Amino acid sequence: MTLPNPVVLAIPAFVLLVVVEMAFVRLTGRGRYEVKDTAASLMMGLGNSVIDATFGFMFAAFAIFVARFVPWSTGWSLGAFVACFVADDLRYYWWHRASHRVRWMWADHVNHHSSQHYNLSTALRQPWAGAFTLPSYLFSVPLILTGFPLGMIAFVHGLNLVYQFWIHTEAIGRFPRWFEAVMNTPSHHRVHHATNARYLDANYAGVFIVWDRMFGSFVAETAGDPPRYGIVGNIASFNPLKVALHGWVSLGGDLLHARSLREAALYLLAPPGWSPDGSRDTSDSIKARWAVFRTAQSPAE
Amino acid sequence: MHGLVLQLVISLAGVALMIGACALLFGTRDTLIPSAATVAERLAGDVPGFRASSTAVSRDGRAALLENTVDGNVYLAVVRGDETVMRRLRRGTLKGVTRDGGKLSLELGEFTLGRARLDLGDETAASWEARLKAIAA
Repeated sequence: MTLPNPVVLAIPAFVLLVVVEMAFVRLTGRGRYEVKDTAASLMMGLGNSVIDATFGFMFAAFAIFVARFVPWSTGWSLGAFVACFVADDLRYYWWHRASHRVRWMWADHVNHHSSQHYNLSTALRQPWAGAFTLPSYLFSVPLILTGFPLGMIAFVHGLNLVYQFWIHTEAIGRFPRWFEAVMNTPSHHRVHHATNARYLDANYAGVFIVWDRMFGSFVAETAGDPPRYGIVGNIASFNPLKVALHGWVSLGGDLLHARSLREAALYLLAPPGWSPDGSRDTSDSIKARWAVFRTAQSPAE
Repeated sequence: MHGLVLQLVISLAGVALMIGACALLFGTRDTLIPSAATVAERLAGDVPGFRASSTAVSRDGRAALLENTVDGNVYLAVVRGDETVMRRLRRGTLKGVTRDGGKLSLELGEFTLGRARLDLGDETAASWEARLKAIAA
């Protein structure tokens, strides 16, 4: 069965909704847009599409290779689609969590977080080197081994990405409690994009926020601590090439200066910010420092 | 193949439309630093307990230097679009400092932030030059 690519079908809606959000922000002041930041995000999205079309065969070849070892299939029933969608979202959760905790994967994923703005154009700020971030491939193996057809996996993954577009906005506050309890929403995802210490490394969900609640990574948005977006050391360029490469250049520099294989391995696989002498900040050290400060400020808490 | 080309053309047109709309609705000018207090407020969000002691804002409003009362750390803020990018200046991140009259040039050697320039006036620039050189040494 050949299925369309939901992301490609959604492109006209993406364009329309970005323009509508811009008009909404201009009229209400709820949210922010900046032209150079927006241009960088959109060029990152365009570049991602072109590179995916060029190098997508690498992951496809890997998936086809793994699927050769699976003699069973779930078939194409509606139940299989639903199960595949949920299973893919669980895969997304763990891939996303690893992308924030493993430097090699962060070198790629950091691009999506490199804007200090949070609007629908930020959703389109996508990395360029996904095909070369080899650890990412492994997260799809359980789905393939379950016997979901490859076309079905690609389709539901596309649906997952389309869902995540609309949650990149400050224009929407909060939904009814039942919806916020189950689904990933703009409020939950604002937390994920924030650099405030209390929000670091939280809310990795794609579609269902229940994964974060289950695996202990959920943090609610707090009215008294509005999110500040971006990354801990924000980049100082809107050049798409620099945006795409800065994580890799930084990782490459550290690997070149590694004094042993163990150090090189830790630069690749330890959380972003790890250094042999501990002189750099990781999200854990930032959170610990903030917790000490908060306790000192209000010991009764 | 034709489908891919068509997709690319439509995407490019969409990108152009969105950038044009953004420029039209929000303008194209950078937001300059109005005062050191604005940057200090932002830094206080990122650095627990931050309180600025000495500060200097470049005359063009595109960069600022701030020292933290609590630990003496010095921070650089540079304007990018309507935001500021901050760096704590320390040995290793600050590679060099040069001064030409009232203009101070900080070499950071980063991939996205190679150099920062501040126009502080002769006296202020000389004072900050000495402090920053001590950090870079």
